[in-house]
Amino acid sequence: MIHHVQKTIPNPMNSTRKTLKRIEDAVGPIRLHRFGHDHGHAHDESVSDVEADVLAEVRKRAGEIHERLAHEHGVYCVEFAGSTGGGKTMLIERLLERASEDEVIGAVVGDVAGEDDAKRFRAHGIPVENVNTEKECHLDPTMVSEAIESFDLEELDTLYLENVGNMVCPADFPLGANRRVLVVSTTEGDDVIRKHPMLVQTADIVAINKIDVAEAVGTDVDRICDDIEAVAPGTPIVETDAKNDVGIDELAAALEPDGTHAHHGEAPHSH
Amino acid sequence: MHELSIAMGIVNRALETAEEHGAETVTALTVELGSATHVNPAQLKFCIETAAKETPVAEAVVTIEEVTPLAECVCGWEGTPGTLDQAMVYAPDVTCPECGDRTTLIRGRECRLATVELPDEQSHQKSAQETPAPTQNKPPEEKRLLQDNKS
Ligand SMILES: [Zn+2]
Repeated sequence: MIHHVQKTIPNPMNSTRKTLKRIEDAVGPIRLHRFGHDHGHAHDESVSDVEADVLAEVRKRAGEIHERLAHEHGVYCVEFAGSTGGGKTMLIERLLERASEDEVIGAVVGDVAGEDDAKRFRAHGIPVENVNTEKECHLDPTMVSEAIESFDLEELDTLYLENVGNMVCPADFPLGANRRVLVVSTTEGDDVIRKHPMLVQTADIVAINKIDVAEAVGTDVDRICDDIEAVAPGTPIVETDAKNDVGIDELAAALEPDGTHAHHGEAPHSH
Repeated sequence: MHELSIAMGIVNRALETAEEHGAETVTALTVELGSATHVNPAQLKFCIETAAKETPVAEAVVTIEEVTPLAECVCGWEGTPGTLDQAMVYAPDVTCPECGDRTTLIRGRECRLATVELPDEQSHQKSAQETPAPTQNKPPEEKRLLQDNKS
């Protein structure tokens, strides 16, 4: 006899039922705990489903960060993701240089080890929390929610999150920022978008950096733009050359808060 | 590579479920893994088995079932999104085939513990009497259970 220990909601996949039948045939009576399923819509994941779904749990925690920063303290949070050496740090530095005198800015920097990038931000006179992720190759919401507690959130206007250099894992780990900027550089080749499509789909803005050397390294920027439009239609694109301070005004303009929230791949939250 | 931290989340959830039902061991568990994630099924299975070592989940048969993405659009369209041809790795096509707007994935991004199978009721009742109230002192209890299994 099969004893359902919890009320089950019919699963559209149905395959678990087959698995159960197979195992029942093989080992005799068992008890099955089947977790609830609500069709998995990102904006109304049920509590039991979120508990059983570790990636939904990650999204839920990201939503809590968004709630704490944006809604409780009015902090505008921008995440930068992208490869190591792509120019994330320098782009943020350029934005820091442009910030108005009275804007209170902080930064959380994820790095596998060391604090080179954190030192660069501290040189701009802002509070910085350095997070060494060690074995993990990305920031996760748990690390970020601990890091933000060291800031005076009531004072803070803007918080930059610099993710670990990685074009893969951050796709599964939203951090609750209002905007995720994906930085790709022309030195990564013009197939960079096609190689990492799912991270591109989680970006709110893509910055194509090192635009000055595109020709020299034989990268077709138009191709990158076409790929972004194909992979993640409607995603704003900004062409930048952080080293020579080109395109930074456009990036700053694209990052202007407009009352909307994080979108693709970001955490659910209610208003 | 973040399969291990995800695997630990799955194993912990399975342990909690076993504890909630007073079961000493978990005989099998099924994980539904969405294709629109960067979690590798084979690595996840390996990591779950690794994370389960020396816990009541150690002997569980681990099955990973891949979940095909399902998308919906504001226009009312709902269906399986196509695969992006130009991408060099799998990615869903997030453009609505009906209206051309951008769709939202409602399935395919999950990594959820779908089922946990526990030993049958009879042996469970027997073991429940031997087992003191759970939650507190979890590590020693697990160790004791493991020794019980061996004897
Ligand atoms: Zn549509």
